[in-house]
Amino acid sequence: MTVSTPLQLFGALVDSAAWPALRIILHLAFFAAAVIILWRIWTRLAGAKSRPGQTLQLFGALPMAGVAAAFLGVLLYQASWHLTGLFRPAFVAFMQSHDRREFNPAHRIQRGRILDRHGQVLAESQERDGRVYRVYPFGRAFAHTVGYSDPRFGAIGAEAAANAQLNGATPEILASWGELGRQLLTKDKRPRGQDLELTLDAELQLLALQQLGSRHGAVVLLRPADGALLVLANNPAFDPNRLSPGLFSGPAAGTPLLNRATQGLYPPGSVFKVVLAAAAIESGFNGTLHCPAGGYTTSSRYPPIRDHDYYTAAKAGRTWAGHGNLNLTTALVESSNVFFAQLGVRLGHDSFAGAGERFQFDRQVRLYPGTDRYGNLSTGRLPRFARNDLYGLAQASIGQGRVLATPGHLATIAAAVANRGLAMRPRLLAQEPPAPLGQYMTEETAARLAQILRKVVTTGTGRGIDGPQLAIAGKTGTAQNPRGAAHSWFIGFAPAAAPTLAVAVLVEHGGYGSSAAAPIARDLLLKAMELENAR
Amino acid sequence: MNAAASPAGLAATWDLRQGERELLLSCLGCIALGFVLVLGSEHAAGRQLTASAVLPLLIYGLSLIGLHLALVLLQFRGDQVLTAVVACLAGFGLLAQYRMGAFAGTLGAGDPELYLIPAGFAALLITAAAGANGRYRWLAKGLWLWAGVSLVLLVVLLVTGTRFRGAVYALGFTTPTEVLKVTVILGLAAYLERHARALARWHPRFPLLPPLRALWPLLVFWVLLVGLLALQRDLGMIVILSVTLLVVLVRATGRVGYFGYGLLAAVGSGALLLTFFAHGQRRVEAWLDPFQDPTGDGWQILQGLSGMYAGGLWGEGFGNGSPEYTPIARSDFIYAVIGEELGFLGCVLVALFFLILVQRGIMIAGQARTDFGRLLAAGLTTVLAVQTLLNLGGVTKAIPLTGITLPFISHGGASLLTTFTAVGLLLAISDGPPGAGRRPARTVKRAPAADATPSAPVPAPRPVDRPARPRRRPAAAKTP
Repeated sequence: MTVSTPLQLFGALVDSAAWPALRIILHLAFFAAAVIILWRIWTRLAGAKSRPGQTLQLFGALPMAGVAAAFLGVLLYQASWHLTGLFRPAFVAFMQSHDRREFNPAHRIQRGRILDRHGQVLAESQERDGRVYRVYPFGRAFAHTVGYSDPRFGAIGAEAAANAQLNGATPEILASWGELGRQLLTKDKRPRGQDLELTLDAELQLLALQQLGSRHGAVVLLRPADGALLVLANNPAFDPNRLSPGLFSGPAAGTPLLNRATQGLYPPGSVFKVVLAAAAIESGFNGTLHCPAGGYTTSSRYPPIRDHDYYTAAKAGRTWAGHGNLNLTTALVESSNVFFAQLGVRLGHDSFAGAGERFQFDRQVRLYPGTDRYGNLSTGRLPRFARNDLYGLAQASIGQGRVLATPGHLATIAAAVANRGLAMRPRLLAQEPPAPLGQYMTEETAARLAQILRKVVTTGTGRGIDGPQLAIAGKTGTAQNPRGAAHSWFIGFAPAAAPTLAVAVLVEHGGYGSSAAAPIARDLLLKAMELENAR
Repeated sequence: MNAAASPAGLAATWDLRQGERELLLSCLGCIALGFVLVLGSEHAAGRQLTASAVLPLLIYGLSLIGLHLALVLLQFRGDQVLTAVVACLAGFGLLAQYRMGAFAGTLGAGDPELYLIPAGFAALLITAAAGANGRYRWLAKGLWLWAGVSLVLLVVLLVTGTRFRGAVYALGFTTPTEVLKVTVILGLAAYLERHARALARWHPRFPLLPPLRALWPLLVFWVLLVGLLALQRDLGMIVILSVTLLVVLVRATGRVGYFGYGLLAAVGSGALLLTFFAHGQRRVEAWLDPFQDPTGDGWQILQGLSGMYAGGLWGEGFGNGSPEYTPIARSDFIYAVIGEELGFLGCVLVALFFLILVQRGIMIAGQARTDFGRLLAAGLTTVLAVQTLLNLGGVTKAIPLTGITLPFISHGGASLLTTFTAVGLLLAISDGPPGAGRRPARTVKRAPAADATPSAPVPAPRPVDRPARPRRRPAAAKTP
C-alpha cells in the first residue's frame, strides 16, 4: 500500500498493530480535553462569582440547586443500571438472551449447565475462539423442555425460566451476585452460573422418541406422587444447536416449534371417558344403560353415535348385535361410545361442566417458575354448551366434538387416578418442592376407577399390552379428527397396585389407541420400572 | 449593527472575547480527537475513507471560527461561556451522529446533513445579532402574534400532518411543533411582563384564590394549546411547556401558589391521560416493568440500557460500540449511544455541559435589565432544562419515555434549529441594555489587554462570566 496522502497514512496507521493502543490513548485524550474545557469554564465562572455584587440571588441559586439535584438523581439512577446492572437479575438475563453486543460483560458470565436427574448434561456453555456457545448434546430430543438461549432468538423453556440461576444466582441471594460481580470486574476467572437439575430422565426420553420414530406425537411420563416429569418428548422438534430465522417465520411443515406435550390441543377421544366415569361414580350412578347396535342420538336430525365394534363388523360385512345393557365397568372396559354418550346426557350440562372444573380444564398450569407463557402446560378446552345442545354434550362425553386436551394434562389425569384422586402439579425443576394441583376425584372414586382401568388392560381394549412383567392400568383412545386418520391415545399408570409412574402417549394419525400408542406406553413403563429397580 | 466599528473597538472586543476564543479552540481540539477516533473505527470496520470523510469536522471547525469572528465583528458583549458550551454539545452531537452513520455513503459537499450544525450556528448568530443591544425587547410587542402563530401552526399540522408511531409529523417527517419551544415562551414572557402585577395580586380575603381576571386569557390559551398537543399525542411538549409556564409565572409574580395549582393540574391531567390514552398507559407500564414484555414494549429502553451497561465506566470508545441494536438510537436514544461508547464518564461530562448551560441561562435571567428579558431567559432556560431532563430520565428509565429529543445532540433539524435559536435569544439578552458600555468603548483609542488599568474605560464588561480582574469595578447600573 502506498502511503501518499495523509488519509492513506491514517488508514495504514489504523491497520497497524499500534491502533488498539492508539485508540485507547485517543479515547483518554478526548476525555481529558473535555475535562480541561470544563475546568476552564469552572475557573472562569468561579472567578466571576467572587466579584462583589455578583452573588447568586435567591432566584438563581434555588432553581440551579433544583436542576443540579435533578441531574444528579438521574445520573445516580442511571448508574444503578449502567454500572451496577449486574445486581438486576432480570436485566442480566435480558442482556444474555437479547443483547447482540459481543463486548457486553454479561456475555462473559458462563451459564450454568442443565442436567437431567442423573447428572446427564442437557445443555452447557462451551468456549471457542473467545466466544461462548450454548451446546445441547442431545440436539432436538430436549428442544422444547430445555429450550434454548440464543442472543438472536432469545430464550425459551428451562433456559428462560431459570435464567437468573443459570447466570449466576437466584435473586434472593445477593452475596452470590457480589461474588459474580467481583469475578467479572477483576477477571480473575470466568464467572460461572449455577447448574440446574431437571426431573427428566435422558434415557427414557430417548427411548420415547425412538419409539415414536418418524411419527408425530408426544409422550409424557411422570411420577404421580410428586409430579416430577421424567419424559416430556415431542416429535417433530427443532435442533437448538442450529437455530435459523426460517424456523420462526411462518407455519413450518410439521410445526416443530410447537410443544405438543404441553401446548398441543387434541381431541382426547375415548381417553376422556375416564373423566366422565369419575363424574358418574361421584354422582352415584350405579345402573346400566341399554347400548344397541343402532347407536344413540339426541335427535333424529343428527347421525347416531355408534360403537367401534359396529364399524369393524360393518367393514367385515357382518352384523353386530350390540352391547345390550352395560354397567359402567364393562362400558369403560369395552370403551362403549353409546354408553358414555347416553351417560353424559343423563348427567346433564351442569354435571359435565362441574367435571371440567374439577379436572381443571381451560387452565394454564405453570411447569417452571416465572411467567413465560410458552413454558406453561395448557390443560385443554371444555366448551360450554347451550342448554338445548344435547348432541354436542353427547359428543363431548366421548371426547369428540369440541373437547380438546393436551397430552400433558391427560397424563396428570392418569396420575391423579393413580395418586388417590390428588393431582400433583407437574414440575421440571428438581429443586422445586412438590405441590398439589387439585383433588380431581375422591379417594374412593380413584380406587374404583383404578380397578376398572386395570381391567381395561387385562380384558378390554388394552389387552394387547398386558404382560406378566408389569401390571399396567390404563385407557386407550382413538380420536376422530378432520385432518386424517384417527389420533392414537393411551393414558395409564403402573404398577396397578401401587403406582409409581403415570403415562400419556399420543401418536398423531396413529389409528387405534391399542395399536400405536399403547405399545409405546408399555415399553416406556417397562424400561422405567427396570431403571427404577436397578437403581 | 455597529459593523462599521472603529479598529479600536474591534480590538477591544477581540480582547474581551479572548476567553471564548480559548474555549472554542479547546472545544475544536476535543471534537477533533473524537473525530479521529470515529474515523479510525470506521476504517477498522472496513469502510473506505475518502477525503470527504473529514468534511463534517472541517465544516464544524469553520462554523466555530466563523461564529467567533462574527461576534467580534459585531462587538458582541454577551455571554462567552454559553457559546462555548453550545459548541461542545453540538460537537458531541456531530460525533454521535457521524458515528451513527449520518454521513455514511457517498458524502458530497451538497449533502444537507452536513449543514445542519452550521445552520444552527447561523440561526444562533442571527438571533443574537438581531436581538443584541436590547433590541430583543421588540419581541414583546408581538404578544398576540406569538400566541396566534403557535396555535395556528398546531391546527395546520393536525389537518395536514401524517401520523406515524402515534405522533403527528409534517411533510418530510419534520416536526414544526419544535418551534413552539420559542414562540410560546415569547408569548408567555410578553403576557406576563404586562400582567405580572395583576397576577401577583391574589385575593385579599381568600389567599388561595388566584386573580382569575388577569389569568383567564392565559388559561384559555393554555387549554387550547394543551388540547391541540394532546390530539397530537405530544406528551413531552405538554410537559415542557407547562413546567415552563409555572416556572415563569412564579418567577414573574413571586407567588409560589401557582406551583400548587400546577401540581393539581398535573395530577388531574395525568390521571385523565392514563385513563383515556392506551398509548400513555402502555408507556407507563413499559417504564414500571420493562421485563413484562421485554421483546415488545420494553425492547427499546432495555436495549438502550444494555448498551450502556456494556459500555461500563469508560465506554467502548467512539465508533466501537454497537448502538445500532437500540431502536431510534439517533434521535431519542442518542444519550444511550453516548453511554455505550463513552461510558458513564461520558454521560457525566455531557450532563455537566448541560448543567453549565442551565447555569448560564439562570444567570442571564437574573441579570437581565428588563422584566421581559428576565422572563424570556428564565422561560427558555427552563425549556432547555426540562427537555434535557425528560430525555435523560426517559432513556435511563428514571421516568417514563416521552419521546423527545436531546438538545443539540439528537438527530432532527427542527429541534436543532429551535434550540440554537433559543440560545441565540439568551445571548441577545445577555448582551445588555442598549448603548451601555459600547459607545465609550469606541471612543477609546485602544483598550489595553487583560491587565488594563482600572481607570481605562474598558468596553463595558457586561458579561457576567468574565473572571475577576482587578480593573473591574461595579460601575454604573450595569452590574446587578
